[in-house]
Amino acid sequence: MNSIPLESPEGTSNLVSKRLVLWHFVAAMFFLLTAMGWGFLISLQFFNLYPFDDISWLSYGRVRLLHTNEIAYGFLVNGFLGCLYYAIPRLTGRTVLNEKLGYLIFLVWQVTMVLTSIGQLLGKGQAVEWGETPTGFRPGSFDLNFVPVDALIAVGALLVAFQFLTPIAKSLHKRMYVSLWYMSAGFVWLILTYLMGNILAEWTLPGSSGAATVGLFIHDLVGLFVTPMGWGLMYFFVPTILRRPIWSHALSVIGFWALAFFYPLNGVHHFLLSSIPMSVQYGAVISTIAVEIVVTTVVVNFFGTMWGHGYALRKSLPIRWFYTGMILYFVTCLQCAFQTTLTVQEIIHFTDWVPGHAHLVMLGVFSFWILGIMTWLWPRLTGREWYSRRLLGWHYWLSAIGVVIMFLDLLSAGLVHGFMAKALVPWRDIIMALKPFWGIRIFAGGMIITGQALFAWNLLQTARGSRAYDYRMDLLTPEAA
Amino acid sequence: MDRLNNILLWAGLGCFALSFLLSGLYPYLITDGKTPEASIRELAEDVSSDFRLLKEAYPIDFARAFPEGVNALTDPELATIAADDPRRGQSEDAWKNAYARALRDGRDLYIAEACWHCHSQYVRPVGNEVERFGPVRTTAEDNNALQRPVLWGTRRVGPDLTHEGGKRSNDWHIAHLRNPRSTSPDSVMPAYTWYFRRGFQIRRGVSSETAEREGIPADQSYPYPGLYDTKAEAEVALEKLKSSLSSNLEEEAERMFVAEGSGPDGDALALVAYLQWLGTWSPKTAEASK
Repeated sequence: MNSIPLESPEGTSNLVSKRLVLWHFVAAMFFLLTAMGWGFLISLQFFNLYPFDDISWLSYGRVRLLHTNEIAYGFLVNGFLGCLYYAIPRLTGRTVLNEKLGYLIFLVWQVTMVLTSIGQLLGKGQAVEWGETPTGFRPGSFDLNFVPVDALIAVGALLVAFQFLTPIAKSLHKRMYVSLWYMSAGFVWLILTYLMGNILAEWTLPGSSGAATVGLFIHDLVGLFVTPMGWGLMYFFVPTILRRPIWSHALSVIGFWALAFFYPLNGVHHFLLSSIPMSVQYGAVISTIAVEIVVTTVVVNFFGTMWGHGYALRKSLPIRWFYTGMILYFVTCLQCAFQTTLTVQEIIHFTDWVPGHAHLVMLGVFSFWILGIMTWLWPRLTGREWYSRRLLGWHYWLSAIGVVIMFLDLLSAGLVHGFMAKALVPWRDIIMALKPFWGIRIFAGGMIITGQALFAWNLLQTARGSRAYDYRMDLLTPEAA
Repeated sequence: MDRLNNILLWAGLGCFALSFLLSGLYPYLITDGKTPEASIRELAEDVSSDFRLLKEAYPIDFARAFPEGVNALTDPELATIAADDPRRGQSEDAWKNAYARALRDGRDLYIAEACWHCHSQYVRPVGNEVERFGPVRTTAEDNNALQRPVLWGTRRVGPDLTHEGGKRSNDWHIAHLRNPRSTSPDSVMPAYTWYFRRGFQIRRGVSSETAEREGIPADQSYPYPGLYDTKAEAEVALEKLKSSLSSNLEEEAERMFVAEGSGPDGDALALVAYLQWLGTWSPKTAEASK
């Protein structure tokens, strides 16, 4: 084994541009905090305690868009880009296409996010769920009313693809490691998905066929971009930190291709029991259940990798973040397989069950993975020892317990809502019955935000600190955070 | 790049294409693709009485928001002109054009405020939803320009709005937008106060006999239609109104005065027009009314 730690200044060739990783992480943390702040604010509306009631541009409906969009495009994308700037050069042994392009992408992306936020506060959001970034046009027409942010995002996604696909293409061996499969597919799928969802549903397909496409978009964005990036990074960081090869390469490739085949076929399950042709709905239900098989192969593979090294969960915080995310991923996908059946849909659709599910996926899985990677990389990027490892523990526990409380709370609220609605209980009584659950949500949200604030503080103090990170630790204890 | 990788690249793209074919293009081809999408103007063919009442109740803001409706005559106006007056012919077209504009503006506001995140526009044939909200909509009924982008929604913090049109009065909707708690106690919907503006109104106080008989405060007064920007405009209008009154209403004219007030602006009217339209159009009724 190389006696020079890979991450130390002597060990680092000029493969990785650490500053780009760092910048994207800082942007990600900024949007994580603001998005969660918006989320906390809007949760107050459910008790009519929203503080900006009379201010149109800060009203509940508009701010609600910021909450989801800043998480998806501000936090997750920035976080993924940061991780990719580290992982892809390491995986391919080549630098990204161009470092200056990297700064351009960084700039484009942050401008996009600021414009998205401004546009949505001005009421220019698009009526496509998870794609509310402004089209720049009046709904369904070509009358310009704002900056066409969607086009800017498409350009950004294209630049990202060039930036990262270049080193991948240059390094192609006979057999590509599974991380690169996931990542390169994710870059291409993102562009296709984004164009499909934002153009077709807005300008071509109305009503039920529009809904089918929107369903496809919502699902593909998570399934063909966020999921491949997340798993691609896990397949890289877990073996890196554990210093063990992945348990089964064959299984990893099966997982990838089964995802590629089954995941996109799920789209219509967002609008079940609707006027979309039933044959299409049944197809979506069956392929959603099939995804559970894919998920199982992947999760088994990772637990196989971990087998006999469970102590790492205790010793290494990043590994704990990763595997917590994987367990929650398994839970959330198992939930998918059941909630997609028409019997369960009847009750839980339109209720808090669905936001509960979404919080588990977006926060409990993919955000946890990014936070875990940040936890591992930060001292190695800044060359500084953690300001406080104790705070890191608080960050983990507040986030993990918070998201589980929120998930169980919204799940229960969904069941109460669904059964009361079916029993034809007056709407007012349903709202009153849900209030206790909404109260618990505020509490859980508070826990999660506190955790992230502590983490942000810790990151800042670490970067400003004077204690150097001891890279030799990497050689001695592979599980050190 | 070797051959295997090449094949696999196309396989990855193929998976995406297959999903779009099966769950995007196929449902389109067997449903909406068979008939043309109804334009907003077509949806506005059948002008609702609620929309006509908006012009009666809020003439000034209506005229500003929907200039197409300048020649649209309200029922009281129609009652004053002859049966063969040419203005009658123009009126109906003006109504339809104004209605089309109101529906589009209203839908845009429904999107801008993200109403669709808390209200669905899709009733399912399960869970007693038909009993609560009304019949299930067909693909043909949603094959129209106001459902592109689709506004079915995925969450119901508030009730489904598929059949909202005509269920309640304009006044209910306006009061509800201004303060949802005033009409629906315990509602968690935000108030949309920025759709209301201040101005000057003509009001008429109640007579002392009426106040006594009805048990209402003696200084109670009620507004006339129209919210004027300046006090002077309102006073001119008041004089005009007084002079048009017949002599037996002199006592009433004395109780009229100008006061500050507030009311819905053009955006609120558009939003109400859209809400009152929901569920009222279907290709079948459109065919029948032709």
